Amino acid sequence: MYRLLLLKLFGILLCNALFFSTMALAEPLPVTEVASGVFVHQGVHEELTEGYHGDIANIGFVVGKKSVAVIDTGGTLAVGQRLREAVRQVTDLPITYVINTHVHPDHIYGDAAFAQDHPQFVGHFKLGDAMELRRDMYQRNNLEVLGKAFAGSEIVKPTLLVKDTLELDLGSRVLQLKAWTPAHTNTDMTVFDTTSQTLWAGDLLFIERTPAMDGDTRNWLKLIPLLKAIPAKMVIPGHGTPTMQWQQAFDREQHYFEVILGDIRASIKKGETMESTMDHAAAGEKDSWVLFSTVNRRNINLLFPQLEWE
Amino acid sequence: MKRLFIVVSLLACCFSSVYAFAEASPDVWPVLKKSFFGDKVIEVSDVMRLEGPRRAESGAQVPITLSIDKPDTYKNVYLFVDANPIPLAAVYHFTALNGKAQLSTRIRMQTDSYIHAVGETADGKLFLAEIAIRAAGGCGGMVDGDDAEIRAAAGKIKLNVEAPVKFGAANPVTFLIKHPMFTGLQRDLASGGYKPAFFISKVSFNYNSKPVMQADFGVAISEDPYMRFFYLPDAPGKLEVTALDNEGKTFTHEVEVNN
Repeated sequence: MYRLLLLKLFGILLCNALFFSTMALAEPLPVTEVASGVFVHQGVHEELTEGYHGDIANIGFVVGKKSVAVIDTGGTLAVGQRLREAVRQVTDLPITYVINTHVHPDHIYGDAAFAQDHPQFVGHFKLGDAMELRRDMYQRNNLEVLGKAFAGSEIVKPTLLVKDTLELDLGSRVLQLKAWTPAHTNTDMTVFDTTSQTLWAGDLLFIERTPAMDGDTRNWLKLIPLLKAIPAKMVIPGHGTPTMQWQQAFDREQHYFEVILGDIRASIKKGETMESTMDHAAAGEKDSWVLFSTVNRRNINLLFPQLEWE
Repeated sequence: MKRLFIVVSLLACCFSSVYAFAEASPDVWPVLKKSFFGDKVIEVSDVMRLEGPRRAESGAQVPITLSIDKPDTYKNVYLFVDANPIPLAAVYHFTALNGKAQLSTRIRMQTDSYIHAVGETADGKLFLAEIAIRAAGGCGGMVDGDDAEIRAAAGKIKLNVEAPVKFGAANPVTFLIKHPMFTGLQRDLASGGYKPAFFISKVSFNYNSKPVMQADFGVAISEDPYMRFFYLPDAPGKLEVTALDNEGKTFTHEVEVNN
């Protein structure tokens, strides 16, 4: 009897410890309601190398009358769990959709935190393949940089694919999803909330942070006029502050692309090497962006070998 | 409980910083050296140098420059990326007709690694140059696009000589060949396995039919292989290149060198 009591007491202690440790892990992420029913957690501007903590992208959710859609989930399972707690602080409605705006690890690695809700995982029709092709590299790189903070983070493949456009009804609230041709990546998708006229641009729009390239920048330039034609009041970029002055934000991004492409083309024409071009192309844009020196060099490293074939 | 959590997070931070400072390992080279060159002595050379970024911006296209003070010092120069799954990136064969033994290329790097260049003299002596580069993800990376289209486009060559040319002196030439350089380590989602290796294996350059430069490539050479090197033209003529892929296909191109 005494033994049983001791066992019970031990059990209670263990439960408490477990309870508190999950509590501590799942402290809700701070979110801002940028439009009625539209909640955003703004990531910080840091690199994906040393000092990366998995919380650099803008992630959040939209609440309808009947259900909730989560849009991007952060760079680790823990960030996803904290986003889920943030949803639960706002509403008890079921989470029926988890939408990934593209394949990058800072946007998708919190997905698994929502598996318990059995949502549809929604993505660009190329997202599943892109996840599979990048899986090994992402696991290795993220584990190297994040170490234990990456524990439990895994890729969740989409269960609902968007070929061109798709509407999701959250109950008196319709989200319009649009899959784009290769631009920031080959898996870019935007989400437009028709009720508040808020556009989740994913990484097709960078504000403050230097736009990172991993797809087809020449095509991205062609998409900007189409993105600007969307009747949005407010745009949530993939990185940076959500804004009503989003037309100018696209203009700034377009300007950077035109400058970097122009400078690289001029270098190639002069017979200059990639190495020396990396030291100066688009250098005049330095003060307009955050993390410029590393991201700009990487962009040149990616673009130069492509533009050599023009 | 909160305090405990803070302690745990601090510990986690310490842990992750250990991971974050993983760097090029010096442990691979002794093994590579032994397997390629046996017990031969390799001296550190002061006539050969390697240059590259301390941290590569992209593991897929890392720019590297190899310089040797005299073009005919070494019969062969072996280039290794220690930490790549297939470390031997290229073997270069310079001649006196290079005029200047300086060569730039772009390589793939899987992770942080030492780069080694081993120069071999005509009488079999070996000399070494090395640098360390931090990098990630250049070997198993994604391949997007249609295989048939990629194969159809393969083999297109660009050969650019600098004008005006200086006869009797070393002039730079830039060579580019369109080719996916499949490593054999890239996933093939259609078959569930890996895409077979498909790469340019050899390039030879002649000036007025005389050999200037030859190179053997491995899959550590980046997609659309790039080489910038020097040639020594004595008079107007023709610079020709022949490239061979591992499936036996040859691609040729030539450029007239006038004034």
